[in-house]
Amino acid sequence: MNSAIPTTADFYRVLPELIWCGFGLLAMLLQPFVRNRYFFTGLAFVGALAGTAGACFAFRSPGAGFYGLIQSDAFSFFFHLLVGTVAVLVVLAAGPYLDRERLPFAEFYALLLFATTGMGVLASAQELLTAFIGLEMSSISSYILAGYRRDSLKASESAMKYFLLGSFATAFFLYGIALVYGATGTTMLDKMVSADASSTLLKLGLSLILIGLGFKVAAAPFQVWTPDVYEGAPTPVTALFSAGPKAAAFALLLRVFATVPAATHFWFWAFWVLAALTMFTGNLGALVQTNIKRLLAYSSIAHAGYILVAFAAVTSMAKGGPAEAAAAYAAVLFYLLGYALVKLGAFTIVSQLGGTGEKNLSLDDYAGLSQRQPVVAAMLSIYLLSLLGLPVTAGFFGKFYIFKAAVNSHLLWLAVLMAVNSVIGSYYYLRVIVVMYMREPSAETASAAPVGFPLTVNVVLAVTAIGTILFGVMPNPVINFILQPTLFGH
Amino acid sequence: MLHGGHLLSVLIFFPAVGAVALMMLRGDDHKYIRTIALIVSAAEFLFSLLMLRAVHVGDAGYRLEEFAHWINQPPINYHLGVDGISLFLVILTTFLTPISVLASWKSIEHRVKEFFVMLLMLEVGVVGVFLSLDLFLFFLFWEVMLIPMALLIGIWGHERRVYAAVKFILYTMAGSIFMLVGIIWLYNATNTFDLPTIQNMLATGLLALPPRTEMLLFLAFFVAFAIKVPLFPLHTWLPDAHVEAPTAGSVMLAGVLLKMGTYGMIRFCLPLFPGASHRATRWVALLAIIGIIYGALVAMVQPNLKKLVAYSSVSHLGFVVLGIFAFHNISMQGAVYQMLAHGVSTGALFLLVGMLYDRRHTFEISEYGGLATPMPKLAAFFLFVALSSLGLPMLNGFVGEYLILLGTYQRHWQWASWAALGVILSACYLLWSYQRVFFGEITKEKNRTLPDVSARERWILVTMAVVTLWMGIGSAFITRRTAADAQAVIDQVEPQRPYEAVAPLRPAQQSTGIAPRIANATTLERPGTR
Amino acid sequence: MPTRPMLAYLWIVPLLPLLGSAINGLFGAKWPNKIVNWVALGSTGLSFACALEAVREFFESGQALFRKEFFTWIAAGNFRAGFDLQMDQLTVVMVLVVTGVGWLIHIYATGYMAHEGGYYRFFSYLNLFMFFMLILVLAANYVLLFVGWEGVGLASYLLIGFYFLKKSASDAGKKAFIVNRIGDFGFMLGMFLLFRTFHTLDFTALFQAASNPGWGPEGWGQFGTFTVACLLLFMGACGKSAQLPLYVWLPDAMEGPTPVSALIHAATMVTAGVYVVARSHVLFTHSETALVVVAIVGCATAFFAATIGLVQTDIKKVLAYSTVSQLGYMFLACGVGAFSAGIFHLMTHAFFKALLFLAAGSVIHAMGGEQDMRHMGGLSKKIKYTYATMLIATLAIAGIPPLAGFFSKDAILLSAFQIPGGHPLYVLGLLTAMLTSFYMFRLIFLTFHGKPRYDEHKVHVHESPWSMLGPLVALAALSVIGGWIAAPALWGGPDYFANFLTPVFGSQEGAEVLSEAAAHSLELTLAVVAVVSALFGLGIAYWLYLKRPEKAEGLAKSMAPAYRTLLNKYYVDELYAAVIVKPLLWISTNMLWKAADVSAIDGAVNGIAEGITAVGDRTRHTQSGNTRSYAVWVVVGALVVIAVIFFWPGMGKPVVGLVR
Repeated sequence: MNSAIPTTADFYRVLPELIWCGFGLLAMLLQPFVRNRYFFTGLAFVGALAGTAGACFAFRSPGAGFYGLIQSDAFSFFFHLLVGTVAVLVVLAAGPYLDRERLPFAEFYALLLFATTGMGVLASAQELLTAFIGLEMSSISSYILAGYRRDSLKASESAMKYFLLGSFATAFFLYGIALVYGATGTTMLDKMVSADASSTLLKLGLSLILIGLGFKVAAAPFQVWTPDVYEGAPTPVTALFSAGPKAAAFALLLRVFATVPAATHFWFWAFWVLAALTMFTGNLGALVQTNIKRLLAYSSIAHAGYILVAFAAVTSMAKGGPAEAAAAYAAVLFYLLGYALVKLGAFTIVSQLGGTGEKNLSLDDYAGLSQRQPVVAAMLSIYLLSLLGLPVTAGFFGKFYIFKAAVNSHLLWLAVLMAVNSVIGSYYYLRVIVVMYMREPSAETASAAPVGFPLTVNVVLAVTAIGTILFGVMPNPVINFILQPTLFGH
Repeated sequence: MLHGGHLLSVLIFFPAVGAVALMMLRGDDHKYIRTIALIVSAAEFLFSLLMLRAVHVGDAGYRLEEFAHWINQPPINYHLGVDGISLFLVILTTFLTPISVLASWKSIEHRVKEFFVMLLMLEVGVVGVFLSLDLFLFFLFWEVMLIPMALLIGIWGHERRVYAAVKFILYTMAGSIFMLVGIIWLYNATNTFDLPTIQNMLATGLLALPPRTEMLLFLAFFVAFAIKVPLFPLHTWLPDAHVEAPTAGSVMLAGVLLKMGTYGMIRFCLPLFPGASHRATRWVALLAIIGIIYGALVAMVQPNLKKLVAYSSVSHLGFVVLGIFAFHNISMQGAVYQMLAHGVSTGALFLLVGMLYDRRHTFEISEYGGLATPMPKLAAFFLFVALSSLGLPMLNGFVGEYLILLGTYQRHWQWASWAALGVILSACYLLWSYQRVFFGEITKEKNRTLPDVSARERWILVTMAVVTLWMGIGSAFITRRTAADAQAVIDQVEPQRPYEAVAPLRPAQQSTGIAPRIANATTLERPGTR
Repeated sequence: MPTRPMLAYLWIVPLLPLLGSAINGLFGAKWPNKIVNWVALGSTGLSFACALEAVREFFESGQALFRKEFFTWIAAGNFRAGFDLQMDQLTVVMVLVVTGVGWLIHIYATGYMAHEGGYYRFFSYLNLFMFFMLILVLAANYVLLFVGWEGVGLASYLLIGFYFLKKSASDAGKKAFIVNRIGDFGFMLGMFLLFRTFHTLDFTALFQAASNPGWGPEGWGQFGTFTVACLLLFMGACGKSAQLPLYVWLPDAMEGPTPVSALIHAATMVTAGVYVVARSHVLFTHSETALVVVAIVGCATAFFAATIGLVQTDIKKVLAYSTVSQLGYMFLACGVGAFSAGIFHLMTHAFFKALLFLAAGSVIHAMGGEQDMRHMGGLSKKIKYTYATMLIATLAIAGIPPLAGFFSKDAILLSAFQIPGGHPLYVLGLLTAMLTSFYMFRLIFLTFHGKPRYDEHKVHVHESPWSMLGPLVALAALSVIGGWIAAPALWGGPDYFANFLTPVFGSQEGAEVLSEAAAHSLELTLAVVAVVSALFGLGIAYWLYLKRPEKAEGLAKSMAPAYRTLLNKYYVDELYAAVIVKPLLWISTNMLWKAADVSAIDGAVNGIAEGITAVGDRTRHTQSGNTRSYAVWVVVGALVVIAVIFFWPGMGKPVVGLVR
């Protein structure tokens, strides 16, 4: 541990966070002076993009920064790119939405960038309190974003829920940190390598951390907030929630695994149970939804379940050393990538079709969409098929890799449960497609004029769709990258 | 031996190119769209014939192989190849596609462009399934072909089309997702998805699966295939799918998609899990036989003509499965042949039923009656096809059924005896329904003025009839090309008895007087010595 | 060796009718009858000529057997079915009967069908039948034989259902095909068993292997390969040749036009079963059981059908039942090992039964479609030729010397008498002979004698055209002389017909039982007995239907139950309907389809789906939207997780899933 003052390299390693944060502040400061709403879109766009670019600089100077508080490595690079891209896309998607809903731009973007910063920190944090700060940054801005539609009762309520339960969960997380510190005398993950796994205190602490993060990733039984919040929040924000924070939380979870062998030993069954529960709650819940936003919310729970399967695989494999676990880590990363793209795309379409005040969210509003807006219908189908896990989409490979991880570590039953779930899941995804392609629209739906899709939104759709297909056909580059042995720096 | 050029890739992706081209077109010029679809599919058919040059009589193995690394972690390769078995299934596919295009010439009126795009995409998927030599690739095409088929049923189908489409896709997925697990599990044991490699490992003893594992893997694959076949009792998606599907959909479904199941059994279940196949064979055969009799009986009492044909498929495919799992080279070849024959004859039946539907918009047998008077030509074709379907010698249906039963009998006479009941029943339901539809006085006034086959329909039917007849007489042309590979599959499962070595296929030259091959008397065995 | 073009191209013989059929079927619709005639008659006549030439060349070659493989039809593994045609003495008989009689009937049909619709269709079918029948008799292996076997079934299906507007007709056609299919079921299994044992289905190779000394004879009650295989083959024969219990289709088959009844359901197709048994004699002679079964079934059928024939009033139905009965004779012959006698009767029967049908057709033609004998009578003067020819045929079938039927039937009865334990068969056969002559003369008397029982103003009885009478005369001639070839046997000379077939069947068994002289005297006595019984039957018929018609009525009344039973053919059709058809349909509809398929299987599938949805609905309701309850959830969840981590069994042990 070098006690020198931070070097420039250290600052490089947090460059993305700095940029995001900076632009967020800038947006706030300029808000009183600049009237042009689109200026802020541009600003946020540049900011998010720049931050993402900054991640490359961070990656160029790998290693622990700030006395090991954060770790800049391929892993953090991957997640920075991920959340950065998410931010960029959300910015693009949000512009027209805010315009339509007559909502202030500047604060929105500022909060968005702050949230992104928090996620960035989570992705690279190697020290629990740092992680906590990242968590809080992203959470608090999320709470506000969730309630951003002040005049909508639903939104405010969901925001309140989110806030209360969120802080409740954070308490678990914080308490967990405290216990771990008590057990190991440090909050540095890399210092816990030698921690004694049998210590009850450590067990309890790690379990509480798991619970706190489980809440963030909406793992059953901590998923209860998800449907309400996802439904109530402005759709672009929902898109952000389903992609960004979840990814970041998973990132931290993975980091803990990768570096704290003690954790892996006894988290296995916990993950096994969580995974099974989550998959079923998500899919069964989604089965009966008629509100597309809620449906997607439940589906995101289900997908969290699938990812947890990979975690269970990790825990059972990591005993064979990180080399074996690598495949499972890769599965998680790849899945999150494909999943984030798809969910962004899907929610963007939903937010566009929602119309002013998000009125048209029920499945019936999608009846006969394939005739009214064939391209949009096709796009949405691509996303849904990817969620369903059909070739040739990123979602398919994600599911494939998770299956592979599960089978590799002989989690046959879990694999079978997952298979059962993907069949259940396929039903409600297909239902949406069926509605779009095979059902005749009601009179007024049919008469409604096609919803316009502004350029920025089209860019989002194009990027996500192309990405979905591209990673479905050519996963090689990504896979090679996330399979590199030095994923976690050491 | 990867000097095959890229014929197979062309075969797979040419229809896709055609589909994309169609998408570019304006949606309203229907004639233009249909013509292009027809040209594309016809060209595809001609291409597929080129494969005939590659497959030589008498030696087994994959030809025209194409190999390219696709994904390196885990190693998934773009590995294609064709052998005697897949060869004709591909040709069947490419043959039925233009027929289906023609069949939907008039009957499809709305969203024409999308329809033909889907049809071509379906062809892509099916051809891909038949040509893939990489388990992963196989699964990929297997899944890809679901969507166009489901849409064909769901968008252009009849009243309960949505239910049928969803049922179809869920049934299939329920099976295939477990196949995916199985594939991955197998990869776990072999570290490869490459079928020939795995077969090598099995042959050289590098890979020996423990019985339990083997059985589970076998089931993971088998269930997926059994659903597709469909094997009793997993068949209930079929009647709905068929009744609701548009004619072209039914033709492709019955003609080709069902064969993907039996093909999978031949290509994967038997070679990869011989031991498990052995232990399962009794039960599989039981289900197959139940399917044969059950399907026929249920078909017999259907008031709905199309459902009748659908159930008859259950019966016929039962024969195929039985032939496969009798582990006898004759029955195996019979099974392969029956797949093709059923594709043609049942495809033709669906075409005819579709033509009736185009005229009267009903499948209810009671709505018809006495049709032979207004439409003698259609009646003649229908009878011809029905006869081939009930296995009249000199028509294609007979060869397959006969070989299957003959081969099965050599191993398990009880199975063959039960299955042979299907031969009686098929005559019952086909002739009975034929009588109710075409014979007698006209009962419904509407039917009195129905037009006979149009020129287009006549060409479709003549083509089908010619093929039916040719397959019935010239079966040797096909069996000689499938023999070696069928034999190879069998050899991996069960060694054949010495006297079952393949006999000379060409007739002995100018043998007048006492015939040759008295030699058989030397290998004479007393009954009961086995 | 000298070139024998016709043998070398033997396939021309069957192919010609096929061509005729195809041409007429495809283009005949637009042609006038004349051209259709040319095609139909030309093709069959030509193939008759070719057959004659082929036969000549065959004798010239002096081989025991000519066999040639033309091309491989089916090949798989060690199984090969080729288009292999063969010719031996047995084939010669069959081919000549088929082409010759067939051709005559074609000629007759041109006259008979002249005013029917679908003329081209009729001849197309008729030629098609000729093709398949020739394949059947020329085939050199069981599979190809089976082709003809099924094919003639198809042709008969088409021709019986020729008047497809009549439900009864299409029903009869369907019935014929399906009942035959039941027989074919056995036939196929028989083939499979043979292949399983001998690994070939070619006649020569198969019989060679079968006559290998390794195979001892199978005694009574011994169910070895031969017995089973033969019984299975015989099952097929029962279907095709309308023996008990599968005879039911033949009487209904009379729905077809009369020439069809003559050609298919009297002269040729229905004898295919006998042909197969004779062809497979090598196998049958191995198995006592099989032979006995054949004999008993044949004999029983002969008697059974004859009794039904006694009371039928439809002229064609009478002939139909008499056909069944005569076929029974042929099987009886085969059963007692007198295959040549069976074939002999097959041939003569072809002559006189075809003649009977054609004559009957001529009568029907004359009566303008009337078939019920109760509305005929006294026709003898009006249609002399028909009467004359029909009378000859009747004498022949009744077994009155010196007509054909006498010799053939005599040969059969003789051999039946000679085999050990054959006396019951002989007696029953004799009885049948008497019944035969009775109902045949009943037919004659009711139709041609007595006073007209029809309205002479409505029906204008007229003699048929020469196109119809010509064949009658020709066949009449054959019915007379057809049997003479075997005549010398009566005067102790050799049985030329039997000798002719010796290359195929080997020398007759049975004859050696007695010394030549004894055999000869016995033969004479039996002949006399047979004739007497026949005359007796004739007498009764004369007395009942000419002398005292009222007696017949009285008789019918006095034993009404028996009479009705006979009239309704022992209610066999009703029995089958009640025991097989109806239950099968009921089960398929209510148990298999409605219960199993729709309710059970599909119900289960949909049930699972609905069940899952229901559970989903349940889970949705846990989403109360109430924050406090959510908080409780979180706490509970937390406790669960901690509990799992701390107290889950097998914690920390190496984790295994399902299998390793």
